[in-house]
Amino acid sequence: MTTLSNKPILECTGIERRFGGIVAVTGVDLVIQRGEIFGLVGPNGSGKTTLTNAITGFYPPNEGTVRLAGKNITGTAPHKVAKLGVARTFQNLALFNGMSVLDNILLGRHIHMHPGVFRTAFYWWAARPEEVENRKIVEEVIEFLQLESIRYELVDGLPIGLKKRVELARALVAEPQMLILDEPMAGMNQEEKGYMSRFILDARDERGVSVLLIEHHMDVIIGICDRVLALNYGEMIASGIPKDVVKDPRVIEAYIGGSHG
Amino acid sequence: MFYRLSGVYHSSLISDSRMFKVPADRNLAVFLLLIGLAAPFILPSLYLNSYILPWLIWTAAALGLNLVTGWAGQLHLGYAAVMAVGAYSAIHAVRLGVPWEIALIIGGLAASVIGSLFAFAALRVKGLYLALTTLAMQFVMDWVLTHSPTISGGSHASLQAPTLALLGQQITSDAGYYYVALGWCVLVTIFMLNLKRTGLGRALVAVREKDFAAAILGVNSFYYKILAFAASSFIAGVSGALLVATFYFLAAPEQFSVNVSIQVLAMVIVGGLGSIIGSYFGVALILLVPGLVNGLVVTASEELGMQVNVETLAHIPNAVYGALIVIILMIEPLGLGKLYGNIRDYLMTWPFDQLRK
Repeated sequence: MTTLSNKPILECTGIERRFGGIVAVTGVDLVIQRGEIFGLVGPNGSGKTTLTNAITGFYPPNEGTVRLAGKNITGTAPHKVAKLGVARTFQNLALFNGMSVLDNILLGRHIHMHPGVFRTAFYWWAARPEEVENRKIVEEVIEFLQLESIRYELVDGLPIGLKKRVELARALVAEPQMLILDEPMAGMNQEEKGYMSRFILDARDERGVSVLLIEHHMDVIIGICDRVLALNYGEMIASGIPKDVVKDPRVIEAYIGGSHG
Repeated sequence: MFYRLSGVYHSSLISDSRMFKVPADRNLAVFLLLIGLAAPFILPSLYLNSYILPWLIWTAAALGLNLVTGWAGQLHLGYAAVMAVGAYSAIHAVRLGVPWEIALIIGGLAASVIGSLFAFAALRVKGLYLALTTLAMQFVMDWVLTHSPTISGGSHASLQAPTLALLGQQITSDAGYYYVALGWCVLVTIFMLNLKRTGLGRALVAVREKDFAAAILGVNSFYYKILAFAASSFIAGVSGALLVATFYFLAAPEQFSVNVSIQVLAMVIVGGLGSIIGSYFGVALILLVPGLVNGLVVTASEELGMQVNVETLAHIPNAVYGALIVIILMIEPLGLGKLYGNIRDYLMTWPFDQLRK
């Protein structure tokens, strides 16, 4: 565990999000410290993704506040949240088909670049220095995630394990303060899970990002998370050290339905 | 074979971001450019100015539409109207005594402003609804042009384009017109090639593919949609002005009517959305093939001594050309550009096909 300072990177208080009459998330408080890997668990439909959407601005919360490094970002548009240093991956992959792995990852550098019509027209003088500078950072991450061999391939045809890794790379090159990973290991086998867990730990240790990790694999949660929060029907049912949370009767009940036997 | 990749190693990030990464592609482009420059000395001026020149200008225009439809993914059915804005603005500017160089830029900027109005529709609606909105704006522009004598001279009038003059040189020769068209087409092509390797191009594709994913990367899709419309409209405006200055010599509202919009869109789609070389092919097919087929049919009927009546003769080229479009899109829905790409990929490894991934 690296520097766990007392200054939280992300603070959510009393988050509530409704869709019509359905309350997807309610009364959720969450504090993530700098350099922490924070797990978010709960059965399907418990509001995990809605909570991340509330943080990143896709579905602004109806109630409650979101603070990023002390700054109130409640209801800020997603592209502005990205500029403030939040990167995320999606549960159902959101890579851009028809583009190479390299171009997809380069898009992660968008917030650090200044693309424009004139820069494009006068590429050699106006755009190339910036492109090359950013490409260097992209190459570092490509090396870090071992994507060298598929750099120039289109993302369309890659196996899902690699796609998830490309998406992680795209999020990492943005050099975010806060990284939100929405089920990065869904559909992976044990070996791929191992790789991914190692990458997440290394990203935290070497690049100093704080991570909010949504995952169903409890072995991963116990293995790499510092703390964990469990949701059920949009409400918090337990939080704390992963070992304790997975033993919590309410968590067990939420997942396998009643702990009477 | 010609396109061999073996032995091509990029050892710096600059060489890896070249416009043409395969030397054969670069050589081909240089070769074509040289042919383009030599064309006035090779081709009779009839062919040069009635086929090649419009082909080049329409290609520039089609590339502009490709920017907004192929790259940014916004359907645009009012492109001819934007070209009209550029054409009329430039002509009026020249008539008021502005030099042509500046008038062309004025035309481009005026088209950019009107074209960005189209973009504000694009911010609200998507897909078919956007197509309909832009179509409606095309009709509005048509109406404005035909009903305001100050712009077009009235519904059946046409506006004489002043003689083109660039860099203090009056351009009146056929070769002169051709070089102006070639120059503009090359400029637009270079811009589009640069678009393929810069952040702007990537951001536009991101907006086209998945706008929510673009947003989380910090891409403001509203801004980039407007930018795409503005840049494409600038290209449209200058192309429209040059079309009138070097080809039509007169500006009339029906030159920029709705069927022209649809024709440009057809050029882009047949050529391939997001393909630069495809736009060249698409324009050639839509613009030149009808005439070519016509010539072939006439020659064939004469050679064979067949008595074909005039009406049939007029219909055959249209039928052949229509069928050609359908066949091409059935063989390769991604257009002629993709068809070319397939052949190029095949030659890349031929005769060692088993090396292909």
